[in-house]
Amino acid sequence: MPSDGAALLPHVSTLRGVKDLTPDVKLFNIEIDDPQVRERFVYHPGQFAFVSAFGVGESPFGITSVSYRKDGLEFAVRKVGTVTSMLHELEPGAKVGVRGPFGNYFPLHDYKGKDIYIIGGGIGMAPLRPVIRTILDRRDDFGKLVVLNGARTPNDLVFADEFELWSEAPNTQVELTVDRGNERWKGRVALLPAVVKELAFSPYNSVAIICGPPIMIKFTLVELKKLAFSDEQIVTTLEAKMKCGLGKCARCNVGDKYVCRQGPVFTMAQIADFIEQY
Amino acid sequence: MSQVISKEDLIKWLESLLKDRTVVAPVAADGVTMFRPIARPEDVVYKPGNATLGPKECLFPLSHTIFTVERNDNGVSIVPDTMDREIVVFGLRPCDAQGFAIFDLPMLGDPADPYYKDRREKTTLIGIACNIAPPGCFCSSTGGGPHDATNLDVMLTEVSEGYIVQAVTEKGKELLQGVPLKESAAVPPPPPDMPLVPTDDIVAAMRRSFKDQYWSRLADRCTHCNICSYVCPTCYCFDIRDYQQDGKVHRVRSWESCQAPGFTKLAGGHDPRPEKGAKMRQRFAHKLLYFPEEFKGVLGCTGCGRCVRLCPVNIDIREIASDVQKIGGG
Repeated sequence: MPSDGAALLPHVSTLRGVKDLTPDVKLFNIEIDDPQVRERFVYHPGQFAFVSAFGVGESPFGITSVSYRKDGLEFAVRKVGTVTSMLHELEPGAKVGVRGPFGNYFPLHDYKGKDIYIIGGGIGMAPLRPVIRTILDRRDDFGKLVVLNGARTPNDLVFADEFELWSEAPNTQVELTVDRGNERWKGRVALLPAVVKELAFSPYNSVAIICGPPIMIKFTLVELKKLAFSDEQIVTTLEAKMKCGLGKCARCNVGDKYVCRQGPVFTMAQIADFIEQY
Repeated sequence: MSQVISKEDLIKWLESLLKDRTVVAPVAADGVTMFRPIARPEDVVYKPGNATLGPKECLFPLSHTIFTVERNDNGVSIVPDTMDREIVVFGLRPCDAQGFAIFDLPMLGDPADPYYKDRREKTTLIGIACNIAPPGCFCSSTGGGPHDATNLDVMLTEVSEGYIVQAVTEKGKELLQGVPLKESAAVPPPPPDMPLVPTDDIVAAMRRSFKDQYWSRLADRCTHCNICSYVCPTCYCFDIRDYQQDGKVHRVRSWESCQAPGFTKLAGGHDPRPEKGAKMRQRFAHKLLYFPEEFKGVLGCTGCGRCVRLCPVNIDIREIASDVQKIGGG
């Protein structure tokens, strides 16, 4: 863990790019100013970092890029609170702060040879995108990849411009669904759990990775269980209020587990074992 | 034989400490006693038991600018805060020294909190043993005791000739160099008795009672005033926010309470711990279950009794410790 992060000191960084993904989600590409720190900032899919909008505060976000490509840190940020609203005001060239990386990550090395079902709802796709990218970049290491992405409306599908690229990869399937369609939408209009049922994912030698609103996770789990997925085969990443990322501020604990240190990635078996309900 | 300092020499010692250090001690202010930097030895208030508000602030300020962000021609620079003066905390009781020892576990654990560490290293603790235990105190049930010198650098015990002086650490010995101490046959009075609170099997009892209705019944009367966290020597939860002042951004760390609304609520609206009973349980589970499980059995409570004395609706950790032992499971 970087000592600067332990000091709660962010690395001064520059916003290199801002892209509208949906009406309320922007993709930020951030470069840490100090080249040595940038080199040291190695992270894994599922880890998170704090981004500072100086003067307003800092918040934790799942890192949505992959470390090995070395083309900047990316965060897909939905405008919901004060920090995210301020970030949405910023333009390329603005100075921001980055602190991290923190937390555990998806154990992709354990998933080698397995079929992977990625189920993301709304902004829940953000921490899943680096998983998809890593699998696509090492396509032969894994079995079938199915990406199931749901959103409120077609305009809320955050990585819409990447779906084509993903689905062109061998042995890879992208399935989309929305809660409400529009006049141009020709795809599914259904809630995510119903699509899980429809597609009848096979639990044989596979892993389901889920991220999205708690209510979506809850009902998707029901369907996965019906398909005979075990709790060990279902992996998710938890969101919690946190201020330090170091297991000190005591804001993110669920029972005796700190989401920032033992998490944010947990299997459903681990979550079922928590003394406190998430 | 004991080493004794007279009350006159104690005043002289404090005067000499004040020359090159900040001395923080219990003073009378706003109708209560609290730890504040003193200007002269006469400011110190000596009264039985611990001060209304403990010395937690000396090492973990209530509100602390951990760094400022300055905008300049080159962009942005970050200037972290450091402490440049040595501090002596004088007149704290064993419970509050134990509070710092408990703070050390999360704060100095890897990676250490640099601000706490900096202050901790520059602080010397001169404590006074409790010869009287006021109502509400129960330190003998939480791993300490009214005469426990373990977590202090120097321990003073009041006797008729002045104070028996015990240099507990090297730091304490250094501070005592040149201080006139007299050999004396004085013996400390026996430590005061206090009612025992059942804490032996508390971790198991907390696990057993975790899902019991007990917590929501107890929480019904909580007003979320947060005084329990405010006065607690072991409550270390914090918040971090930005403020702008004098053209600079101040990143400020401040105390936070698990009983406060919004403690766990996310910007998107989801709150993993919305129920009152679960919030109340969090406070006690942290101290009596999670903390001892994480830190080799050490309770997150010093028995200082402040929350017991100050809770406006009489939520009493001593009663809770006893109640949970009677809950079978669930």
